[in-house]
Amino acid sequence: MTAPIIVLDGGTSYHAFSLSDPMLGPWFDQRLYVDDVSAETLGHAGTVVVPCRLNPDWLVAHSDLLVEVLRQGRTLIAMGETEPQSWLPDIRFTSVPTNFWWWLEPEGDLGLHIAAPDHGLFDFLTLAEATWHYHGTFETPDGATSLVNAADGGSILLDDRTSWPGRLILTSLDPFYHHGSFFMPAASRFLVGFTQWIQSGMPIHRHRPDG
Amino acid sequence: MTRPIAYLSPRADAQAPFAGLVPDGLNLSTIPERALPDQPPDRFGALLVPMHIDQRRFAAAGPWISKFFQAGGTLVFNGLLAYPFHPALARFQPLARPRVDQFRVRIMADHPVWRGVDSDDLTFRRGVAGFYGRGCNPPPPGARIVGTIDHGRCRIDWQWHPPEGGRLLMHAGNDLWMYARDKNSAGALTPQLLRWCAAEETVS
Repeated sequence: MTAPIIVLDGGTSYHAFSLSDPMLGPWFDQRLYVDDVSAETLGHAGTVVVPCRLNPDWLVAHSDLLVEVLRQGRTLIAMGETEPQSWLPDIRFTSVPTNFWWWLEPEGDLGLHIAAPDHGLFDFLTLAEATWHYHGTFETPDGATSLVNAADGGSILLDDRTSWPGRLILTSLDPFYHHGSFFMPAASRFLVGFTQWIQSGMPIHRHRPDG
Repeated sequence: MTRPIAYLSPRADAQAPFAGLVPDGLNLSTIPERALPDQPPDRFGALLVPMHIDQRRFAAAGPWISKFFQAGGTLVFNGLLAYPFHPALARFQPLARPRVDQFRVRIMADHPVWRGVDSDDLTFRRGVAGFYGRGCNPPPPGARIVGTIDHGRCRIDWQWHPPEGGRLLMHAGNDLWMYARDKNSAGALTPQLLRWCAAEETVS
């Protein structure tokens, strides 16, 4: 039996509506409200998911628990607008103004591209599903793999298996917020694919390269 | 004397996003969401609740909210209600598979907060519709319907007088003050909201 996937719950409306969605909730083994998080309750998790827009104040106050997940060789997934640069070491993030109207412009293009087409995540989703808008980019750490890059070369989604004994998945996308706000079909499709990838053990390599 | 207006902040050190736009004569305080139950419920005349709060924590403060209403407080709630904080309230109901025309805002009744605001300025931001809201927090019986989407069918904004006292202004969408710096008619919404909050005794 694999170690459980625990998703944190910040008590926001969009965490509630996303995690109670039968398309998503059942893929996580446990949903843990922030007030119930402790070394003990996180201790048995194989993967800890920090959903987008979880309150950064809480994350800063509990950074030791989350860093411990990585130190102990487990997986931490940190999503958009959680300000991981303030609660994880050596994260470099550049905020960008949100362009939510690019698709209305002639030949509009958000400028994202896949940086690692053979990565296992892309058995579960395509670039179109990662394309709505984004709030910033990360500098890809040495040895880590950026999966999706923005036009400026910064990463909006990366897989870091070298900086820690554990594995860090980092994204600046905020699909829980959009899905749980019933506002952005691409974000919903992203979240379903991303969650299924997590549940499948987060494969590094594609098995269905033509899929 | 008018009691101060409080903004409930998800962040401990953040000011209200409209802090610089408060009309003269009004007093605005920021309360971190975790500190709400520590406040005397009659300290503020109005409480402005944004969409990004921990609603589970807010609903757990139900007894405090009830005392706030008893003290004549005005609660302005923004967002999709996931954790009802009063027995008369129910969870958000999204529009099912909405088309863009269903996002068009229609103001159904004269109300001091929306007065003079062109509903198209609420519907569209840089040509994109849907920010205002995509569903409703179902109104209790007796609520006065103000704003709708879905051709008048989806009651997104309403005002209600809870039996224990006070006023509840509900907006089931993104924070009403997202328009605060807009250069069109929607820019009036935030100062009008704050003035309406300060006019505690006005039944409108």
